[in-house]
Amino acid sequence: MTQSKKTITRRDFLRGTTCATFALAMGLFPEEEKIVELPKKTSVILIRDPDVMDAKGRIDGKVIQRMLDEAVTALFEKKEPVEAWKLLVKPEDIVGIKSNVWGPLPTPKELEQAIKRRVMDAGVQEKNIEIDDRGVLQSKIFGQATALINARPLRTHAWSGVGGCIKNYIMFVPRPSKFHGNSCEDLGAIWNLPLVKGKTKLNILVMLEPLFHGVGRHHFDATYTWQYKGLLVGTDPVALDTVGVRIFQAKRLAYFEKERPLKPPTHHIVFADTRHKVGTSDLRKIEIVKLGWKEGVLI
Amino acid sequence: MIGPRLTTAFAVITCLAAMLACAANERDREIISMREYVPSEMNGWKTQDEVETYNRESIFDYIDGAGEVYLMYDFRKVMVFRFAKADQPYILAELFDMGSPQDAFGVFSHAREGEDHGIGQGSEYRGGLLCFWKSKFFVCISLERETPEAKKAVQDLAGNIAEKIKTTGARPELLDYLPSEGLESNSVRYFHKHTTLNYHYYTAGENILNLGPQTEAALATYQPGETYLLCVRYPEQEQAKEALSSFLTAYIPEAEESGSAEIEDGKWVAAKQERAFVIVVFDAPTEAYAQDLIKAVEDRLSELASEERRTP
Repeated sequence: MTQSKKTITRRDFLRGTTCATFALAMGLFPEEEKIVELPKKTSVILIRDPDVMDAKGRIDGKVIQRMLDEAVTALFEKKEPVEAWKLLVKPEDIVGIKSNVWGPLPTPKELEQAIKRRVMDAGVQEKNIEIDDRGVLQSKIFGQATALINARPLRTHAWSGVGGCIKNYIMFVPRPSKFHGNSCEDLGAIWNLPLVKGKTKLNILVMLEPLFHGVGRHHFDATYTWQYKGLLVGTDPVALDTVGVRIFQAKRLAYFEKERPLKPPTHHIVFADTRHKVGTSDLRKIEIVKLGWKEGVLI
Repeated sequence: MIGPRLTTAFAVITCLAAMLACAANERDREIISMREYVPSEMNGWKTQDEVETYNRESIFDYIDGAGEVYLMYDFRKVMVFRFAKADQPYILAELFDMGSPQDAFGVFSHAREGEDHGIGQGSEYRGGLLCFWKSKFFVCISLERETPEAKKAVQDLAGNIAEKIKTTGARPELLDYLPSEGLESNSVRYFHKHTTLNYHYYTAGENILNLGPQTEAALATYQPGETYLLCVRYPEQEQAKEALSSFLTAYIPEAEESGSAEIEDGKWVAAKQERAFVIVVFDAPTEAYAQDLIKAVEDRLSELASEERRTP
């Protein structure tokens, strides 16, 4: 192995000299004095509502619409949700709503419809809107899209640590396996491909009943989900995933009563920032605005 | 002159065609043989006629990113059987040919967390998923959702498959070098590549231990204190020497001759080369404990080498 350039090791994360998010994702806690406040650069809205779902996980469409509206108006500092959505999409836009169909934990239909409703309220014609996941490369609408809305649940993932906003765009490449190397470290590169670059207007990381632990490929186990009843909403997919991972770390610490690093480490989030410049993974630069239900917020 | 040349060319083509036909027949026989391990019916669940097969090239047509886990080992192919029964969740059975018993154990160890379930040569059941290994096979049987009847069918199906695989295989010999005192048995992982090491214990972005398909590695945790012990076997002693040097330079340059250092979190890291092996201890509570663990591996290596010498 050649070591002509400085190798980043576990010790660098312990020293706190490199990304704090990655250190936290590995269950490492850098020395406190190394964590200094920095000017905030991006906002993430965390909104929660105890009534968004019942004990069986059935979602109330009206409540989720209200949560989305409140989040978007707070994010863009507007009084009315449609005013905010008009900043995101224009009537002439062709809009792709990128969801996720993974069986045990898909993007809720109620949320998909809430997004679609507001996109239409902002003036986009229904025929110019499509909701899809695995068919995006075959879709005429996604192929011509001028605006994308990205919405999916957060969950642990066997080969990338977590599946969040960044990973949701893997369906925009013909051969996803091309991005699997070293635990999906370069997923962020997808966001710079011409098909999607600069088109994403809003990201929604669904935290209604996320999966915070799993081992191996077949790893959905309802034991490791909990009704957090939240949405993370923002324009920066890296920041959303960063905050989501921080919530997972807190949940895992509470559940396992000890530090339990995510496996594999979620370094694709860090590299989406440092290598691919898709957003920020530095918690110190992220302003988290918490709205609604506070009990068990974990962050 | 054309006549003999044509004859030679014809002979070569015939020979190649025969070889290809033989290889194809061999593959077909293997697939048929693998198929025979899985019954067509279990407790009322019936398998569909069509069984899917994927190999190293086509694995991603079946599995997303997690398919990489199998490619980290000598994975050859997987056969997928889907079982259905009216008003019951479907059952999915996957039979992986991992090329060797060692790699079947390796891929089983990758995701193991809990207690043994008593099927095959090692097994685990959790949340509607039963996995076991036997011989060169790794088998996963999963449920769409858990019901008492379906859970029983999964267990019966696993037992049936394990029984049909008549041969057993040896665990990786490398595991014999891990000292037993303080070992958390479920924590033992066996692998080849640095990405797998990083999966279980993130060490460095670069491959600072020169791991690869030809190296064997075992990683385990020891109590008290959750100390990690990594033991790597290289094809040659010289490669082990180079790997140790690379590791010390990148990870604990301050260690110098001692091979150990206290790092930022107050824990100790130690590394040593012994013949074709590199032994590394991470997260030890004291330097003495780190050195004791290394010494225990060295003792095991000497012990087993003497046993081998004694065996005629």
